[in-house]
Amino acid sequence: MFTFIRIFALLLACGAPFAAAQTELQAERILLTFIPNVQFSPFYVGIDGGYFADAGFDVTLEHLQEPEVLDLVAVQQANFGIVSGEQVILARAQSRDVMYIFEWFQRYPVGLVYDAAAPIEEVADLSGLTIGIPGRFGASYSGFITLLQSGGLSEADVQLNEIGFNAPEAFCLGAVDAAVVYINNEPLQIRNLAAQNECGSVTDVAVASVASAVDLVSNGLIVNRALLDENPDAAALMVSALTQALRAVINNPAAAYLASLPYVENLPQTGAFITELKQIAAHQAEFLTTSPSRDAVAASRAALHQSLAEQFPPGESAQFQVLLNSVELWDAERLGFSELASWQAMGETLALMGFLDDAEQDLSAAFSNDFLPEREK
Amino acid sequence: MPSALGEPPHARPQPPKRLGRDMRQKAQRKNKQRKTALVAGSGAALKLSPFFSLLFLLACWHWITARALISPILVPPPSAVFTALADALADGSLAKHSATTLEEMLYGLAIGLGIALALGYAIAKVPLLEYILSPIIVAFQSTPIVAYAPLLVIWFGQGPQSKVVTTAVIVFFPALMNMIVGIRGVSPRLRDMMRSLKASRWQTFRHLELPAALPVLLAGLKTSTTLAIIGAVVGEFVASGSGLGFLVTLARNQYDTPLVFVSVLTMTAIALSLYSLVTLLEWRLLAWQRRSAL
Repeated sequence: MFTFIRIFALLLACGAPFAAAQTELQAERILLTFIPNVQFSPFYVGIDGGYFADAGFDVTLEHLQEPEVLDLVAVQQANFGIVSGEQVILARAQSRDVMYIFEWFQRYPVGLVYDAAAPIEEVADLSGLTIGIPGRFGASYSGFITLLQSGGLSEADVQLNEIGFNAPEAFCLGAVDAAVVYINNEPLQIRNLAAQNECGSVTDVAVASVASAVDLVSNGLIVNRALLDENPDAAALMVSALTQALRAVINNPAAAYLASLPYVENLPQTGAFITELKQIAAHQAEFLTTSPSRDAVAASRAALHQSLAEQFPPGESAQFQVLLNSVELWDAERLGFSELASWQAMGETLALMGFLDDAEQDLSAAFSNDFLPEREK
Repeated sequence: MPSALGEPPHARPQPPKRLGRDMRQKAQRKNKQRKTALVAGSGAALKLSPFFSLLFLLACWHWITARALISPILVPPPSAVFTALADALADGSLAKHSATTLEEMLYGLAIGLGIALALGYAIAKVPLLEYILSPIIVAFQSTPIVAYAPLLVIWFGQGPQSKVVTTAVIVFFPALMNMIVGIRGVSPRLRDMMRSLKASRWQTFRHLELPAALPVLLAGLKTSTTLAIIGAVVGEFVASGSGLGFLVTLARNQYDTPLVFVSVLTMTAIALSLYSLVTLLEWRLLAWQRRSAL
């Protein structure tokens, strides 16, 4: 009997480290931009849904300015970060050895918001107008220059005013005729202000998106060269986890919003809206068991968009609407896939703006689709 | 008569009186010369010490970057910064952005100091005003300007006006406090004397209060000038198309770390230059104080 117990104990002792090794997660920081926001819900879902853990990562999220994210990844203080593609091109031109391995935003999120009643039919109509822009740098600036160019205009044809990230205020106070914005967020805020008669004479706004004119590479996941050289599997595992988390958000935004609540401050945690979202999330989960097509899922989101807008005041559902708008920028047949043409278009814009020597770098080396799961390639 | 034991040790043979005086004077002169040389030497060393500390800093910086102890992405070598400085000077961009920031600073200083000195004088004279205004002033001052700078941009526009306002706000408080302290610190005896001389208010201000408060006021001005660049650059960080704050943002977004260093060093140079100007002004204006101290 004692012999049996000894053997059993020995087996347990041998097995314990093996089990521990199996569950031991690798700590990884993912550097994000901006501040905690529902727009980062794929990362919250990645943690809460266990996608990162299943891939072997114990992920912590940190928010920094975009250049800081890129530099810290480049000097290996973190392995993963989220930045826009244009920053990758600029940084690589300045010896930052990073690679873009997952295109999160499939559509460029920048656009121009203007009064729907204004006589603006096409980009050429912007000539002579005063346009507000966060600053003459970053994704907003490059996106806007591309938009102008698509209509045969240049920066000299408009009056460009730097307004920081204050587009709703500057636009509604009449300081600018139109403003360069992130189309998933600020037009919604301006519409809400207009609905409350707090936007001057503006009753509705129209949006001209950069993506409708040109396909530019946008925000995505970067890694440093050292990780790709030493542990490329880690990069592939991270991409796989992010792909699954992103797909989960696209398929069930209500559940993603609820998962984001502990991470994002100042969101209502209770009340009729949250109760409604819980029911919607449950129904959607049931719907997903029927393996619906991507179009059917998109239609379910559109219906949800409509029904929530009718049921709840804009202030209550605003952040969920931001998430739904963002999902439309993320959704694609092949999540994470990056096209060389979108990099070249961005490279040309940067060269036109004088930020890049056009013959300087091989843009195909700036990104890779090799780490994507087979299904997305 | 000499004793058998000889003379006591202190009773050395004395030189003739005149010769002794000459020797003493010579020794004193030598001593004085040595002391003067020492003081002059230490004075020169003192004057050169900032340059030595700068050289030491540069040497450390070079040593760290040459041995790649820190990635050049984070800290570029001094040579790269000097090259970026030469480029920015050659293409005129540094002069343009520096001029913008300097202009915002000077306008902000003028407005902020003007209001602070006038209000400070009024508060010093009418204590009731202090009770009424101090909660607002202290609340305004204790809030970090970076927190409400975006609001100032919305209220005053994205042009230089908002940067002038942020500068004026940030320089206001030290100048105000020093004005109050300076005016209240004037000796009551001297005030009595001015009254006994039947001096008018203007004469009292011109000949007593202003000169007496000047040392404190100039100390406040020194603080304000160094703060002015913070106000201007904070405003430029929020929204701008020109200025050293904008140049930092632009350089960061183009991953041009040497240019970031150039911009920051230029800000330091501007702040130091203004500080030195105020010190020079202080030296000139307070010459009477030094003379009276002698």
